[in-house]
Amino acid sequence: MDNYTPKTSIFEETQPPWQTDYLPFGCPNCRRVFLVPPDIINTTCPLCRRAKLDPQPARLTTNEPEKLLPFQVEKNQLYAIFNEFTSNVWLKPEDFNAEILLKRTRPVFWPMWLVDSDVDGHWQMEAGFDYQVQSSKEVYSGGQWQSRKEIENRIRWEPRLGTASIHVDNIRIPALEEHHNRHQITGTYPLDQANDFDPQQLGIACLEVPDLSPREAWRLARPQVQRELGQICTSASGAEHQRDFAIKADYRNLHWTQFLLPMYTTHYMNDEGQPQILVVNGRSGSIYGPRLASRKRGLHIAGILAGVAGAIFIIALIGLLLAMVFPLAGLIASFLGVLGLGVGIAAIVPAVWPGQWNRRQEEPRIITRTS
Amino acid sequence: MSEKQSSTRSWTPPEGFQKVKSHFEGVVVYAPQQVRAIEDKVKSYACPNCGANVSYDVSAGGIACEYCGYVAPVKAVKLGRSADEFEFTLETISQSSHGWGTKRQILQCDSCGGKLSIPEGTISTTCPFCSSNKVNLTISPEESLRPRFLIPFKITLEQIQPLATSWLGKGWFHPDELAAKTIIRRFKGVYLPFWTFDALVYARWRAQVGYEKTERHYNAREKRWETRTRIVWRWQNGDVRLSIDDFLVTGSNRNHINHQILKKLYPFNMQSLVAYEPDYLAGWQAQAYETTLTEAWEIGKSAIREKAKKACYHNIPSNHVRNFSMSADFSEESWRYILLPVYLSSYRYEEKIFQVMVNGLTGAIAGQKPVAWWKIWLAIAALLAPGVILGLIGLPLLLLGGAGIIPISLGIVLYIIGIVISVILYNKARQSEA
Repeated sequence: MDNYTPKTSIFEETQPPWQTDYLPFGCPNCRRVFLVPPDIINTTCPLCRRAKLDPQPARLTTNEPEKLLPFQVEKNQLYAIFNEFTSNVWLKPEDFNAEILLKRTRPVFWPMWLVDSDVDGHWQMEAGFDYQVQSSKEVYSGGQWQSRKEIENRIRWEPRLGTASIHVDNIRIPALEEHHNRHQITGTYPLDQANDFDPQQLGIACLEVPDLSPREAWRLARPQVQRELGQICTSASGAEHQRDFAIKADYRNLHWTQFLLPMYTTHYMNDEGQPQILVVNGRSGSIYGPRLASRKRGLHIAGILAGVAGAIFIIALIGLLLAMVFPLAGLIASFLGVLGLGVGIAAIVPAVWPGQWNRRQEEPRIITRTS
Repeated sequence: MSEKQSSTRSWTPPEGFQKVKSHFEGVVVYAPQQVRAIEDKVKSYACPNCGANVSYDVSAGGIACEYCGYVAPVKAVKLGRSADEFEFTLETISQSSHGWGTKRQILQCDSCGGKLSIPEGTISTTCPFCSSNKVNLTISPEESLRPRFLIPFKITLEQIQPLATSWLGKGWFHPDELAAKTIIRRFKGVYLPFWTFDALVYARWRAQVGYEKTERHYNAREKRWETRTRIVWRWQNGDVRLSIDDFLVTGSNRNHINHQILKKLYPFNMQSLVAYEPDYLAGWQAQAYETTLTEAWEIGKSAIREKAKKACYHNIPSNHVRNFSMSADFSEESWRYILLPVYLSSYRYEEKIFQVMVNGLTGAIAGQKPVAWWKIWLAIAALLAPGVILGLIGLPLLLLGGAGIIPISLGIVLYIIGIVISVILYNKARQSEA
């Protein structure tokens, strides 16, 4: 197994890897490990925001990352993104505004594995070839027939097998346990636009360290390599589709490197003082995270409205008493009574609405940048 | 690595696979070997015992030598309706429209070395120099456009002779010499080309359907209540699904084969289809298609859509229909190219060519029969004569003030009856020759 897993070694707290001045830190709360630039070492975890990062040794690949997708969304564009994100929430927490979110924004690169391998083996599959057939539609109207030809696309499946002695390059494999969840949060990246790794391009971003065990990484890598081989064999067969692909192969000269993907994280505090994390894709600007309303603010407004309603009722009662002497006061008292009832009912809305809204935010969706 | 070690060097492809072109360096691709259903070479038939010419013998059910009695049964797979059907791929349509691609082809006889020039579409032939039977399928635009299936002859030439004699001898207005053995001996067994088509048809119709409504009304002029029937028109629609199976369209040209006669030989039981074997054609004539797949499909489609139209009308719950329109969507269309057994006899009578055909599977017979027109004219004269004679008798009697009106009236009635029967007789005679 060891011949197939990434080559790693332990880097001590004071030992910067890959010709950078970044040092390894860990979050005591979420257990994630980061490489942090020296100017911001006294910082909270950029992902969970619940604990300060502590220096700790880290297991890292001996090779530096191979590819990096640079940030395209600049920090000044983030204000517009946050502003749009926060603008439609009624009774939002005071903390939930574009200025504060921007101030707390932190750039982070998160990793994927890139695997190169020599493959030597034999394969088999059902290759699908597109072809077209002609069909007819006949229409009878006004005593005459009209004929129309229609073309239909079909796939012809044929067995193919053979051998493969090839080199596959840069197959992308998850490097984080939460890779799929992370991908759902950030949305897609234009991976073909990546640059070769250059420490200068890191800026002040933290680098998240892969947390998948090497054994698990290879378990995930193999089907991915096989999928890639399936596509190669499909195109080698001149086919357009394939199914039931199977390969028995030796994988040699495996080479593991990392691919770094850009994202921004920020947070705001909810009523209970818990940080709510927002994630922005560093390329597309799509933003993900909960947009919570403040129940506290809702109750506060509801209390004010209830007080106003109570005051109106008291005035209305006084008016009713005065009506015994001045009959016109009875009319005003009735009006005030109805008004008080309306305000009282209206007071229910801010008390209830945040709860309703927050329930809808339990499954936050990615919001794609519109401008 | 936990899995079993494998290497491209130790791996060999399974049997029946051949190396094909790879579009990626380092990847070797194998595909199933293309088995040609029909061999490309000309096959000659000679007896392995005595070297004499041999041919397919219907009663023996195999290749037989009439000199030494050698018989070799034909190894053919009976396929019936499960015989492969082909889709209307654009490639096939384009290939089929090119026909057989050559006007004449030169074959070198491998028995005597003579060079034979044979016309387009001839599948089997006999060498004029050494009389050896040959079956040839070298020229075809596509594998699927070669005949892949056929129904072998089940009726022998001896069996059709009494059938033909009886059929030709029927009817008094044909020449007496028609049943002569010389005409019957002209019968030749020919494998004729046919296309069979399958399709699913989904037809939707829309029409104004009239329903009869009986109502009572007061006739003011007659001053009484009467009953009358009125038609109430309503727009209606409906749909019909048809499954077309083995719809036959002949692949022979109208100039060579009379299609009307051929249709009278139907049906051919498709359960008798066998895989093509050149042995069946040894010593027999066989024709390749002249009507291309697309032309045949147009003919088939026209007939099928009329069938669908009839089915739609049948679906309408009334006999009163107007503004009828419909659409027919064809799907799952497929075709087969087959050879069917027909005995064919062509003969000349009074400078006209007549064809008679016998279904080589069922013995059904149909054809054109010449008419002895003098017999017809004589019969017509005999039919009209009583009316004319009675008229001629009645006229002077009428002029003389006698009872001439009776024979004249009777004469007119007989004359009209005579004309009607004469017209029927004439038409029947024309149809017989058509």
